[in-house]
Parts: sequence; structure tokens; C-alpha cells
Amino acid sequence: MLEIKDLHASVDGTPILKGISLSIGEGEVHAIMGPNGSGKSTLSNVLAGREDYEITSGSITYKDKDLFELAIEERAAAGIFLAFQYPIEIPGVTTMTFLKTAVNAQRKARGEEELDAVRFLKLVREKAALLNVSDDMLRRPLNVGFSGGEKKRAETLQMSLLEPSLAILDETDSGLDIDALKVVADGVNALRTAERSMVVITHYQRLLDYIVPDFVHVLSGGRIVRSGGKELALELEETGYANVGESAA
Amino acid sequence: MTDQAHTYLDANSAPAGGPAWLDTRRRAARASFVDAGFPNRRVEAWRYTDLVRLLAKTNWVPAEQKSGAVLLPDGCVNPFATIPSWILVFVNGFFRADLSVSSDLPEGVEIVSLDEALAAGTKFEAAFDANGPETIAPITALNAACARDGAVLRVGDGVHLERPVQLVHYTDAEQPIATHTRHVIELGVDASMTLLETQIGWGGAYLADRVSNVTLGERSSLTHLRVEDEGPEAIHLSTVLADVSVSAKYEATTLALGGLGGRLQTAVRFAGEGAHAESNTAYLMRGTQHIDTTIVVDHAVPNCTSAALAKGVLDGEATGVFQGKVIVAPHAQKSDAKQMSNALLLSRDAAMNAKPELEIYADDVQCAHGSTIGEIDGEALFFLRSRGIDEETARRLLIGAFLSDVLELVPHEAAREALEQRAHAWFETSRNGGAVI
Repeated sequence: MLEIKDLHASVDGTPILKGISLSIGEGEVHAIMGPNGSGKSTLSNVLAGREDYEITSGSITYKDKDLFELAIEERAAAGIFLAFQYPIEIPGVTTMTFLKTAVNAQRKARGEEELDAVRFLKLVREKAALLNVSDDMLRRPLNVGFSGGEKKRAETLQMSLLEPSLAILDETDSGLDIDALKVVADGVNALRTAERSMVVITHYQRLLDYIVPDFVHVLSGGRIVRSGGKELALELEETGYANVGESAA
Repeated sequence: MTDQAHTYLDANSAPAGGPAWLDTRRRAARASFVDAGFPNRRVEAWRYTDLVRLLAKTNWVPAEQKSGAVLLPDGCVNPFATIPSWILVFVNGFFRADLSVSSDLPEGVEIVSLDEALAAGTKFEAAFDANGPETIAPITALNAACARDGAVLRVGDGVHLERPVQLVHYTDAEQPIATHTRHVIELGVDASMTLLETQIGWGGAYLADRVSNVTLGERSSLTHLRVEDEGPEAIHLSTVLADVSVSAKYEATTLALGGLGGRLQTAVRFAGEGAHAESNTAYLMRGTQHIDTTIVVDHAVPNCTSAALAKGVLDGEATGVFQGKVIVAPHAQKSDAKQMSNALLLSRDAAMNAKPELEIYADDVQCAHGSTIGEIDGEALFFLRSRGIDEETARRLLIGAFLSDVLELVPHEAAREALEQRAHAWFETSRNGGAVI
């Protein structure tokens, strides 16, 4: 599904990613862990297509296509979804209007029929109920005045409506207490299928108790310094990140 | 500047021979306009909107009455057309009874043209005496000297007009014509109504100047919604002088997108306690368009509240101006005044000038003013695109959201939708052209 080869990326001339290679198969859940500043968020942003990053070398192939050839919205229509660490507030655009615009934009891009208001409302209500997203939240401007938990639930609702092939969860646990985290994790787990791949980016092992990955990678200094199964996360919880780089070297 | 004022007035003044009270006032207005000279950048109140530069190159002649059917050209639309209303139509500044609808008015309501009212011997001394604050006075004087027609709208005590009244102004300029229109709007005690105004036009250069004298009786309420959508080469001046009495409410929202250059002037004077005035503006400008929103609120008495919000989008080389002034008289305690200007610049060549002024002589008051100038939030744009929304749609969504703060305040639902649709249609028009339509 996703093949990253020797990826180097810089911000304002400063190299952040220094040679990342990673292969993600269909239906696999990969966790990417690492200390602050290791390049985790840069990797997720490069995948989603944020324009502040300069790709200096390397390649990313997604579903046999060169990802760098696709604009941000084309990546989304092709099934890439980034759940933001800090979801953006959009005053003046209701959550419902935003969701409908996004869903229909993707359907249109894929040559599918757009959903009319009635069918869309039915679909949203169904999915929103599962994530405990109230009608009131749907009527409010997107993320404006939402609590941390509400914002992450709104993100998860977007994911469930857009049905991506590759979901990238960028520090989904930040700003959540344990109860909110459980709700979001349940929502994400409900979206796990044999076809849908996920990249779960996190600083802490805690999230991985709830979203259990198939593989864990440790990012440090812009490189993947260790890879392993889910038990690697537990090991990191014990030893911290300090020695990981050295033990790999 | 004095020469230009003379030249302009010689060509465009209303002819003498009207009622004596009016001739006297027109003479005084001419003298006052010549004395001050044509408003230009050397005068502080006109620093950002230089009428000499906008008007001097053209030999303006008075518009003439047109008769016959009016076919609006493509792109020239009255957005309020489908709202059931009493309608007064002005073509090239003159009232057209044959195109207007003012039958079945409830008792206590009078709607006539200024020309008719004058012919019937009605006097409007106060309206023609009122020059408003210094900032806007040159234009009220110019208008007093040159206005030939307008609307007179009187709503008697206790009358609530169920349907809005519309004033539709259409200018069709085959040559550079000047129109000066004067409206007199009076609401009695406990009266209420919605007034919809549309300014549209076509052809080459023209000057459209209108002044509305609004007098609101005790506890009366006027909702005043305007679309300023003049032709691409038009210069428009639109002035409201509102006198707001005890516990009365004046609520205005203006959507401005047309014309080459324009100035929207509002002067509110509180004449009684407990009154409220609100004047909000949304503007969308591109090419070399220029829009100036100037508002002066005079808290002459205690316990009144006022708010002004101007939000707009400037693309291309468009320029915007916000001049907001609040005056609080020494004894006008418990005054509450807010003014805010937010501009969104879509291009590096667009420019915005914001100038707040406060003259506060009372101590127990709340006055807030602010100004922001920014561009489309890159984070928000990235977020929307990451959800599959193409860049153009995402930009429109964000611009629409930006303007919604102004448009969602419009209390009349059908009018609000009409304004939103008109704003949205702005995107469909050329990005490169000199102006809208």
C-alpha cells in the first residue's frame, strides 16, 4: 500500500527526515514512536502533502503511484487521511456543512455520485451516534468551542465518513484524558478492517494499549532506529528513548 | 479644489425655481461645498479616498429622465427581487412610478417620490439642514445642492410594516452622468419596518450619490439592508444620517461589491436614551476597486449602545478603508460602543487602511475598537484540502466563513439568504477583470 524509500525532508533548509524507509501493507497498523523533535509530525505532514516541507531525496509510492505527483486534495481522494494532532477551528463553517462538502468532494473526485442532503444527513447521524457526536456539535462551527475530546471525536467522525485506505493518526492521544482516549480509540478500532492501513504516531505507549499495532517503529533524529512488534512499545515504556539510538547503532 | 467644486456645481446643481425654503438651502449647500473644496487627500477625513482623483478627470453631466421599459443586462441583478415588497424604482436617479409597486399600503404609511412630495408643498427643512459631522458633510452639502429626486417614506405611530420596502436604484450610463438622490425616511413612535436598498448599474462611468435622512421615533425599529453593486466604472457615494430617539433601534447591514470607487458613510446621532444602532458592512473587492467605510457615532445622550463591524475581502490591487469614529458627550454615561474592522487580503498588491478615532468625554463608558488585516489561514486551507476539498472551494468556504460574521447578523431571513447568495456569486465572476459583473 505505502512504500517509503530513503526519504529526506527539510524545513527552511534544516534537514528533519534523514533517510526513512518504511513499508506498510494492506490492513496493517504501524505505530511510529519517538521523542519530541524526532520527525514524527514531519513524516505525517509529508504524507498528507503539507507544502512547508521540502523533499530533498527519496520516494513515496502509494497504491503504485508516486505520492509527490498528487496534490493535497488528490491524496485525500485517493484514500489518505491525516487525523490532526491539533484539529483546526473553522469559525463560520458548521461541522455539518464541512462534512458534506468534504464527503461530496471526494465522491466527485472518484467519479461517484454526490450524496443529496437527505441521504447525507442519514449517514452522518448513523456514524455520529456511534462516536457520541451530538446534533449540537454538528450544528456548531467546526471545532470552535469543542473540548479536546470533542475535537478528536470530530476527527474520528470525519475518518469514518471518508473511509480512507490509509489513516495517519498524529498524536491522537494529546490533550485527552483516559475516558476521552477510550472513546476515540474505540472509534478508531471500529474502523480497522483487513484492507485499511493505519499509521499511529505517538510519543507515549499509553495509546497503544488501546490501539494495538502490528508493528512498532522508533524514530530518532530523523531516522527509524528500531523496528519490532507491539512488545517494542512496552520495552520503550521501561527504558525510555534515551538508549534506543545507541542500541541500534 | 475650489475651481473643481465650481465647475462641478455649475454643471450639476439642481435648477433654481423650487420652493423658497429649498432654494435657500440649495444655495447654502453650494456655498458650503465650494468653501470646503472638493474632498481630497489633503483633508484628513478624505486622506484615503481622494474624490478629486476619482472624479476630476471626467466631465460629469446631470442624468436625464428615462422612460420606457428597463431591461437589466446580464450580471446586473437585484438580489432582493423575489422578496415580496413595496418597491420604489429609480432609474438614473429619477423615480419611475410605472416600474414601482406601492399600492395597498397600510394606513399610516406614506411612500412618495421627493419630487411629488415637493410638488405637494411638503417641506423637508430639517433633512436639508442636516449636514452631519465634518467627516461626511461635504457630500451631504453636494447632495443637497444637486439632488433632484428621491423617496419619502413615512411610517406612522405604532405601524409595523409586514412587508419590506425596497428602493431599487438602477443607472444606465451611456455618457458620464451624475445622479444625486435624497431619501427621507421617518418612523413614528413604536413603528417598525425593513428597508431593502439595491444600487446597480451598467454602462460606462457614472457617479451615483445618495443621501438618506433617517429619523427614528421613540421605540421604533428600522432594519436597513443594502447592496452596493454598481457598474464596473461607477463611483458611488452612499450616506446615511440617522437620528435615533429614545429606545429606538437602527440596524444596518451593507454588502458592497460593485463600482470602481465607493464610500459608504454612516452618521448616527442618538437623540434619546436607551437607543441602539448597529452598522455592519461586508465587502468584496478586486481589480482596482476601492471601498471606504466611514462611520461616525455620536453618543450625545447617556445609556445608548452602538456597534460597527466591517469585514471584507480585497483581491488584486483593490484598496479598502475603514474610518470609525465614536464620540461620547461629557454627560453620556453608560455609553457602550464597539467598532471593529477585519480585512482579508487575497493578494500582495491589495491594501487596507484602518483608522479608529475615539473622542470620549464621559468616564463611565465602554468603548472598544480594533482592526485586523490578514490573509487566508494556511493551516485552515491545508486542513480543508487534506479532507479532499479542492483549493478553490476551500478558499471560498473560508472567505464565506469570514464574511458570515456580518451576514448572519441580518435578521430578515430571505434578505439574509439573498445577501449570502450575492456574496457567493462574487466568486463566479472574473478574477482578472477591472471590476465585478
